[in-house]
Order: sequence, then structure tokens, then C-alpha cells
Amino acid sequence: MVNRRLSLLTAITVLAMVLIASAGSSFAEKPTVLKPCVQCHQSEQDLVRGTLVSVTEKFKTINVQVGQKLVWIITYGDDLKITGADKLSAIPKDKEIGVRFTGDEKKPYAVSLTVKPPAKVAPEKLVSLDEMVKLVAEGPAKGNYLLVDSRPKPRYLEGHIPSALSLPTDKFDELKDTVLPSEKDKLVIFYCGGVT
Amino acid sequence: MSPDSARRAEAAGYTKAKIFHDGLPAWKKAGNLIVSEPAALQDFIEKDIAHVLVDLRDGAAVKKGFIPGAVAIPANELLTAKDRFPADKSAPIVLYSDGVGSEAFKTVRSWGYKDTSVLNGGMAAWTKAGGKLETGTPGTVISYVPKPRPGEISIEEFKAIAERGSPGMLILDVRDTDEAMNGMLAGAINIPAGDMTKRLKDLPKDREIITYCNTGLRAESAYEDLKQAGYKVRFLNALIQIDRDGKYEITKK
Repeated sequence: MVNRRLSLLTAITVLAMVLIASAGSSFAEKPTVLKPCVQCHQSEQDLVRGTLVSVTEKFKTINVQVGQKLVWIITYGDDLKITGADKLSAIPKDKEIGVRFTGDEKKPYAVSLTVKPPAKVAPEKLVSLDEMVKLVAEGPAKGNYLLVDSRPKPRYLEGHIPSALSLPTDKFDELKDTVLPSEKDKLVIFYCGGVT
Repeated sequence: MSPDSARRAEAAGYTKAKIFHDGLPAWKKAGNLIVSEPAALQDFIEKDIAHVLVDLRDGAAVKKGFIPGAVAIPANELLTAKDRFPADKSAPIVLYSDGVGSEAFKTVRSWGYKDTSVLNGGMAAWTKAGGKLETGTPGTVISYVPKPRPGEISIEEFKAIAERGSPGMLILDVRDTDEAMNGMLAGAINIPAGDMTKRLKDLPKDREIITYCNTGLRAESAYEDLKQAGYKVRFLNALIQIDRDGKYEITKK
């Protein structure tokens, strides 16, 4: 308890010193969000979003990659709240995490950590089996759709839904321009193998 | 995989990117038509992977040339040929003709053969893809002897390695990190199948790598990537369930 109060005191002191030192310059200079995360998340001043590099038990730090050469080193204590994993050691390396912190960017202290949950899909973006059957029966021209098989190419070759084109998820950026239509408002439906 | 692709399509500016989330399993289960590509059939033939290939055309067309290994059963005789199909309902069955073949597909599928497909584009697509033809008299008897796929490790050997470990071997979990977090085999490391080609440097070349996922599908895809990159590798082609403590159960497909 004494320890914690002391560290809090230190944190406040350091914060105050930094505030004085940095007066006049902009506050959040160090990026807090890894580039791919920007697709869904906005930058927040007290929240670091990136991939987990490591957790150093000895120094009680969580190291989060936020850019090619940019790693946030955030200290934590026993009061850290974790969502999405039982304990820090259960989070695999390179996993997308978000860490909310207090203190400033030079001496951040982690308040809570969230592990990115598995992707959830908004209901309006889902195509049902019945709709799929109807569209495939009409064909891509009449149904005005493009069906994309996201599984690896060998799986596609062995068997796929009629009229589907192959665009494996891991080759998406490389092949998207040759597979996806030029009309950006065309209905494009993706499917894969469910649980594999 | 598909939600990720849809998100990337949206990021690339597509305004109507949707997901058929039930995916191929639901499509198949409902008995809908599945088409396979000439390249897969060529692979079956070249790698000697056990399969059943049925030529549905009439006798005159077949005489001019048929796909190697095909058994001739004209479409109008298919219904009477049920007894000639293999006892193993998981046998991959490829049907071909000059047309779509959806009626024949429905028939064979209704007999319980889950892994039935129709050659996409029929004979024309096969010839166009440079597929060889055989002339003479095709067989009329279906013989199907299941064989392990190239690179497949037996369940027994996999279990032995998982239980006792082996210094010369590395067990590789190729499921997504989210799945691996909910339970992995002891001693295994996790690299998602989709990231394999980008993360080769994380893997040793002097140890044999054994890949697994939930069903063997992604494990085989990782096997192919690693083999191509010059690694010594095999994969588990079975259903495996792992709980948080690393306890597991393997079921034959």
C-alpha cells in the first residue's frame, strides 16, 4: 500500500514536471495507434492500440508495438484490469491489444488492457443461405453480385459454390484488383469454410 | 477469414461488401451444387489421391476420349448404379459431362456422399486446362481405396509426439491466434496459416514441423506453404478439440 502511494506520488511529481517542461508544445506527440487499427479505431490520448511485443514480469512492463520502430513501454501493477484473457501471460505475442493508461507518454501506467475479441459481424452485412441459393440460381449477371471464396486456393479448386471467384484472405491486397469489380457499389459477397 | 476480407473490401471503398457467414459447410449441408476445378482433378490424378471420377456422357462421346481413371456411367443409368458406388461416404466423387450436371449431383449427394462435386465447365474446361485424355474403353467398376493424403501424419504418431514430445520435431498450431488462446497443445507454437509465408523465419529448418488446426484443412494449407519453402513438414488430417488446459481429443474424419 505504501509502495503504491509512493509510486502514485512519484507519478504525479513526474507528471507535473513533464507538464511544466512541455508547456507550450503539443501534448500527444507519440502516436498511440498502430496503422491497421486506424481502420476501426480513432486515436485517443490515453489509449494505446497496437500489438503485444512482450510482458516483462521483472520490471512490470507491457511492451506494445505501435509502429515499425515504435514501442510503448507501459508499467502495470496488480490493479490492472484485463478483458479478453485470464492473465497477461495468456496473451500471445503479436496479439492486438488496447491499453488505457494514466500518466503521460513518458511514464505511462496501465489502468486496463483489452484483448481484441474475435470479429463480430453486423446483421445487416450478413447474407442468409436462402438468399445465397436464390442469387446463385440467378447467376452473377442477373443477380448482379460477385461471390468471393476467401479460403486458400487449393480448397477453392477442390470444391466451391458455383459462380464464386477465388481470393484467399491472405492474398487479398495482392490480388484484389484482378478479382474485385471496378464498380465499388456492386454487391460483393464473401464466404469461407466456417470453422476450419 | 470472410469477415476479414469483407472489412478489407470496405476499406478499399466497396460499399456493398457482405458476408455469407454460414459459408461452405451450410451450403453443402443443404445439398446445394458444389463445383470443382480441373486443377484439383489434375492434382488428384498426379498425386494419386484416392477419388472416384464418373463420366456421365453417353457411350459415343466417351469413346472419343475420357479423363484418365474415369468410370463411365451415362447420366440416364445413374439411378441404377447406386450399388457400384463405394461404401465409404466420405470418398471424393467428381462427376463430369458436357453440361452442368446438377441433376446427377443431386442424385449422388442424396446417397450420402458428402464430398461430391461437378467438374466446373465439364469436358470443355478440362481440355482447355490442358488436361490429358485417354481413349479406348473406360472402366465400369468403381474401385475406391482410401489412402492418406501426401504429408498426412497418422493420428497414433501425432498423439505419441504430443504426449512425449520429440526433440527433432515441432508441433505448430496454425489456427488463428484467438482460437489458439483458448487452448493449445503443450509445447506447440502458434502461427496462423494465413501468416505462414510471412513468418517462415520464425521456424527452424532442422526440425520436422507437424501442423494442426481444428479439422486438418488449414493444417494442410500450411503444410503446402512450408513444403514449398523447403521445410520438413507433415500435417494432422483429423478433427481435434483442445481445452484450456491443453487436454485434447482427436477424432478421425
